[in-house]
Parts: sequence; C-alpha cells; structure tokens
Amino acid sequence: MSKGVQSVISDSNVVTSHPVMAEPFGNALIELAQTNDKIVGLSADLAKYTDIHIFRDAFPDRFYNVGMSEQLMMCAAAGLAKEGFIPYATTYATFAARRCYDFISQAVCEHKLNVKIIGGLPGLQSGYGPSHQATDDLAILGAMPDLTIIDPCDAVETMQATKLIAEYDRPVYMRLLRGNRVPLVLDKYDYTFEIGKAKLLKEGSDALAISCGEMTMRCLDAAEELEEQGIHVAVLHVPTIKPFNRETVLSEIARVNGPVFTAENHTEYGGLGSLVAAAVAQEKMQADLKKIALPDRYLEAGTLGFLQDLYGISTKTVKEAFTAALR
Amino acid sequence: MIDNTEIKKLTDKAYEARRNVLRMAYIDRRGFIAQALGAADFLTGLFFHAMKYRPDDPEWEDRDRFLLSAGHNAIAVYAVMAAAGMIPEEWMDTYGQDGSHLPMASMPKYTPGIEISGGSIGLGLPIGVGMALGLKRKGSDSKVFIMMGDGEMAEGPTWEAAMSAGNYHLDNIIGLVDVNGIQADGLTRSVMVTEPLDEKFRAFGFDVQRINGNSMSEVVTALDNALGSKENKPHIIICDTVPGTGLDFLIGNPKAHFISLDDEGWKRAFSELKKGEE
Ligand SMILES: Cc1ncc(C[n+]2csc(CCOP(=O)(O)OP(=O)(O)O)c2C)c(N)n1
Ligand SMILES: [Mg+2]
Repeated sequence: MSKGVQSVISDSNVVTSHPVMAEPFGNALIELAQTNDKIVGLSADLAKYTDIHIFRDAFPDRFYNVGMSEQLMMCAAAGLAKEGFIPYATTYATFAARRCYDFISQAVCEHKLNVKIIGGLPGLQSGYGPSHQATDDLAILGAMPDLTIIDPCDAVETMQATKLIAEYDRPVYMRLLRGNRVPLVLDKYDYTFEIGKAKLLKEGSDALAISCGEMTMRCLDAAEELEEQGIHVAVLHVPTIKPFNRETVLSEIARVNGPVFTAENHTEYGGLGSLVAAAVAQEKMQADLKKIALPDRYLEAGTLGFLQDLYGISTKTVKEAFTAALR
Repeated sequence: MIDNTEIKKLTDKAYEARRNVLRMAYIDRRGFIAQALGAADFLTGLFFHAMKYRPDDPEWEDRDRFLLSAGHNAIAVYAVMAAAGMIPEEWMDTYGQDGSHLPMASMPKYTPGIEISGGSIGLGLPIGVGMALGLKRKGSDSKVFIMMGDGEMAEGPTWEAAMSAGNYHLDNIIGLVDVNGIQADGLTRSVMVTEPLDEKFRAFGFDVQRINGNSMSEVVTALDNALGSKENKPHIIICDTVPGTGLDFLIGNPKAHFISLDDEGWKRAFSELKKGEE
C-alpha cells in the first residue's frame, strides 16, 4: 500500500474508561476451532467488520465468504448443520434479523439446527442511520420459537459465550461486540456466563437495574459512580434474553425497596423491559418499573456518542435516570 | 455522433465532482473515497447529460427518477448533486456530521432528490421495478435510473427484480452497475464471483451494454443508446471502473472499500487530483 493510506476496519468510535481487548469473538472462535473440527465460519461480505476475518486467516479452508447474500448464508448454515458441522454465521444484526427472518425460521429454527448467528452492530452502535441500527433485533428474533438469544456485556462474556454455545446443540443468535477496542468489564466481578442465567453483579438497597448487553456495563459504571454519593443501585445482568430467567428476575425485584430500572440497547417494544414488565404483571407484583430503552422510531444518523446521549443510553444519561428517580 | 465540446464540458464537471468528494471525505479524513472517485464519470454523464430534472424542484412529477441502491456511495451522488445545484454547496462541509442534510448513507428524509434509503443494499432494482410499473400506469415517459454495485450483485432480491423487469418489459429502467472490482471484504472476484454480469442480465431479458465507465465518451454513447433504444427491454449499462480514478496513489489498493488518509495523504490528494479520460 502506498504511503499515507490505511484502511479502516472498524467504524466504532466508542469511548470507554475500561481496559479493552481486540476481537474477542474472533479469538474465541479460533481457540474453539483448535479443539473442535466441526466448527466452520461464514460471513456475507462482512468478515472484516464482524471479527471473523481472524478466524478466516487462521483456518482458510473452514471459512466461506458467501458475498452479499445474507439469506443464502442462513440457509447454507442450516445445510452445514444438517451435515453435522457447527456453523458460525456473521453479518450485521439488522440484516440477520430483518432480511433473513423467514430463512432463519424455516431453514434453521423449525428444525432446531445447531447454527450460531452472530449479529454485529446490535441496537444503536452505528451512526449510519436505521439501515445499520438494529434497534429491533431482540423483538424480531425473540418471536422465533427455539432460538436462544444472547446479548453479552463485554469482551470477557463474548469469549465465554462464543465457546459455550458450540456445545449447546440448538440455534443461537448472539449480539456481537466487535472491533479492536471491546471493553473488559466483568473480570472485575465474580462472574461466569451461563446460558439462561441472570446474575446479580452488584448489591444495592436503593434501586435495582436489570440490564443486558453493553447496557450492563453502563449501569455498573453509573452505579459505581453513585456509590460515592451514598446511593446504592443493585445491578442484575440478564445476558440471555431467551429463554428468559424469570425466577431470578422476579426474586431480585421482590428484594428491592425502590425503583426497578430495565436497561437495554434496543427499542422499548418487545425487548428486556417488555419481558420484565410482563413477568411482574403476571405475578401481580408491585414494582416501580422504569424503562431505559430506545424510542419506538427510526433513529437519526449522526455521531455515535451524540446519539447515545440523545436517546438516553449513554452512561451519563443512565446515571441521570437513576438520580432523577432516586431524588 | 459524439460532440467533443460536450465531452470536454462533462470531463470538467466530473473533475468538479471529484473535488467535491475530497471536500466531503476530508471532514472525517476518511470514507468511501475510492468508489466515489471511480463512479464520478458515469454519474456526471447521468446528471449532466442523460437525466431530466429540475435542480430546484426535486419532486417535479416529470423528472427521471434516480435510485442509489448501494447507499454508502451517497458521497459520490452528493458530489454531482452539488455540482448540479441540486443541493447547496455548503452542505458538503457537514457531510456525515450531526444534524447534516448529507448523512453517510443516502436517505430521502435528509436530502431532497434522494428517492430511497440505500443503506441496506439490494433494494434499488426491486423498488425500481415498482416505480417503472407505476410510471407506465400513469402514462409517464420518465425513466428510472438505478445505480448498483458489483458486490451488490450477490443479493438475491436484485435477481428477482431483474426477472420481473425482463418479464414486464420495463424499457423505462436504465440500470448502471459499477463494476469497480471491490467490495467490503476485498476484491469481488476473491469474495464472490458475480460475473459474467453481461451474460446474466442478457439471460434475464435486458438490453446490455458494457463500457469503460471512466471514459466520458463511452459513458455518453451508452446513455444515448439506452435512451434512444427502440428495444422493448430494460437496459443495463455495466460500467467497468477503476476505484480511485483521478488519484494515482489510491489505485490498486485491494482494501479500498473504506479509506483513511493521514495529513500527508490529504495533502497529496488535494494536490495530485487529476482530470478523467474524455
Ligand atoms: C444488505 C447489506 N449487506 C451488507 C452491507 C454492508 N456493506 C456495505 S457496502 C458493502 C459492499 C458493497 O460492495 P459493492 O456493491 O461492490 O459496492 P462498492 O462499495 O464497491 O461501490 C457491504 C457488504 C449492507 N450495507 N447491506
Ligand atoms: Mg464494488
């Protein structure tokens, strides 16, 4: 390449105070593939942008780039699974959830095939506009029977989940945190990822935050800052959206004496907040529920930090929501 | 008959469009620069020679429709739209920024004259089929021009649309495929072979031309042929282009999908930018 030119592989401009790690998903997949020869990788012209390019480079003959054919990719993954392989198929979350819905439903999930669908840029992680903002992936895919849905918080959990789902013989959709600066958060807590388990990361008597994905990081950061002001917010991390760990969520809600926040990088319709609210209503429980989620509309294009503040999912706005309710 | 003064004029406009591309990309020091430089010639031919529109009235009923199917190439289209006076020049200095009228992916909500959202790739020809049917129903003789990418040719909906366009004899569709040889993961031929595109479109019932998309005279001739054609078929112009055209130091970079330049790179870009082929 000539002087003065470099290609950018990640458009993520996420600012984090946490230590970071490069390509946790790709690295975990490589480790996994070293001991499991059934693992194969697929991408639809987004290998470089979903961190599976490092798997491709490590195992060129176990990787298929199908070009810009997301629908085909889901069906081909189904076919590979029928032949006994464990395909990890990557694209952006919008294209997986929206464009491929019928293909995932009919080729993969109806037959409980061992396919792992990995969606990049879940929720609001791109300033590119609605085409790349998967604000609805949990709602869309959550309606699909027999699909397990995972929304990891950080690099640690991404690595653990990437490996665990291989052993879990059924369809999985995992939201991807990608790039060379994925935060490391959960290593500071006594935590190990288990499929289907919600876990309390931080105790607190004033309020409870129930969160998934990177919103758990933001809730933890906001809650740790509030400790200094004598405000104690508990944080319950729910990395598996489906199957939903109802019992743990309800028992933590029963323990708290104060507002209960749900926090997700997803539209307010049909995600974690909706699941929690439905569970509370069905139990006829009393709870002061407050939803931190994206609004029910097509979001703006712009810079990511600006949009996270605008739509109330940044650490700063999460902290403001906590304090406003606790005043 | 090629009119040499017209070609000269168009080549100057294409140079202006290329400068506009650099002006916009400079804001973030990066972007889909190579594709936009490669597409500047046929887009200039479209906007300054072939298409019928009123710069100050983007909703004029009798306009030809232009659909950008692969919306990340918005920068290339904004560059010619600014040169054509369809959008204010100052807007270019806000490209991709908060509150801008020119987001990185083209969307009608932000930019007058943009007909569809192209960020999710592969919708241009399918929507174009419906618009072409609608225009015919209305008795309109407006055309539907659709710009697509060679990587995009792997999208299934494109071929569903091609089948319909052929089936319904949509001779009011003029598609342009920018065969620049690159897509997100690298060279198109090493990611997914989408060729031979001419034979594929011919088999789907299209009138096919294949040209050097960086030669202004070939561009103009192909557009004139499609517009003057009496064939009762949809038209496709396959434009072989060189990404980075006009900036020699960008040419041949297989990772040209999204380019970042440092200060020195930008200095070179602004000083070394050349005019295209007539
Ligand atoms: C449906 C869909 N899949 C994937 C992407 C991500 N993506 C953006 S540009 C691009 C490659 C486009 O290649 P090509 O069509 O050749 O256009 P070029 O950049 O070469 O002009 C990809 C895969 C997308 N925007 N939409
Ligand atoms: Mg291309």
